[in-house]
Amino acid sequence: MYSAAGEEGCHLFNDFGCGFEAPGTSLFFPTPWVDFGLPMTSGITKYALVLVVALLVAAGFWYFTTRNAKVVPSRGQSLAELLVGFIRDQITRNTMGKEGDKFLPLMVALFLFIFSMNVMGIIPGLQLPVTSNLAYPAVLAIFVFILWNAVGIRRHGAGAHFKARLVPGGVPAWILPVVVPIEALSNFVIRPATHMIRLFATMFAGHLLLAVFAAGGWYMFNLFGAPNIGLGLLSTGFSAVALIGFLVFTAFELFIMAVQAYVFVLLSSIYLGEAMEGAH
Amino acid sequence: MSERADAKGAEEAPRANAMTVLSYLLGGLAFWGFVGWLADLALGFETLFLPIGLLLGLIGSLYLIITQYVRS
Repeated sequence: MYSAAGEEGCHLFNDFGCGFEAPGTSLFFPTPWVDFGLPMTSGITKYALVLVVALLVAAGFWYFTTRNAKVVPSRGQSLAELLVGFIRDQITRNTMGKEGDKFLPLMVALFLFIFSMNVMGIIPGLQLPVTSNLAYPAVLAIFVFILWNAVGIRRHGAGAHFKARLVPGGVPAWILPVVVPIEALSNFVIRPATHMIRLFATMFAGHLLLAVFAAGGWYMFNLFGAPNIGLGLLSTGFSAVALIGFLVFTAFELFIMAVQAYVFVLLSSIYLGEAMEGAH
Repeated sequence: MSERADAKGAEEAPRANAMTVLSYLLGGLAFWGFVGWLADLALGFETLFLPIGLLLGLIGSLYLIITQYVRS
């Protein structure tokens, strides 16, 4: 009985001995370098390092593209302007109207920060999307949730803001006991939760998929270890398919990373626009 | 641009975002399903109020989606 790697015995070993070990969720729980021993904390792990790199990349992007800002933009400055223009025209103006320009710096910063955190997943050597740990999207989503309340309360007053978010407009009074709890749960629990989980889950799943392709390709590359050259070529063929899949999915993942950053910002912007608008 | 025109620009945006619709559906099922389950527990039924609660939640969610996003 041969495995896909064309092996009778063993050509790669893992923690448990011989054979293929599919990458699992342990990828997302790196061993802490410094452990404070506090309950419910993970200590300083690779995530913290990659987060700092992502932050430096995002900050560096703005520093190098805008430090010599001119009326006729350089190449870097054009790129920065393109990004700001894209977020203004596609997101903030669309969801909040011209008033949304107030939130443009926040949205642009959020987009670039999330995108650089995501992209860390395909940077050789780092290869860990920061957003694949629920804590990081959670902080961002909770921040947007607090801002959503703050904007609504400041614009309409606490009473009107919560009324608009709890009592749907155009609904007869006798139906209210049924729909008010739904509206409350939806607006104050499920929406912030889905906001964070959507980003986390796509990055988590995407990274796991890439890891499976890479590990499979590596494992099946067994040209000389196989009992005969035919099996060796066959296993190398399998390996090539897996590695081509890895490259294709890496490109696809890069696209998904940008899309998810865009969607996170778009949803934040829709929520803030709704808080500004008040009752509907 | 006047404030009215701004507000109009915001209104033309796609209001019904899929996440809100999804959270209505989840919220309805979760809340009324939970109430039904609690009622079963309190009144000692096996499963009587749970399906009723789920159904009520689903109807409430669909009603909300229709009034908030389909008709307007």
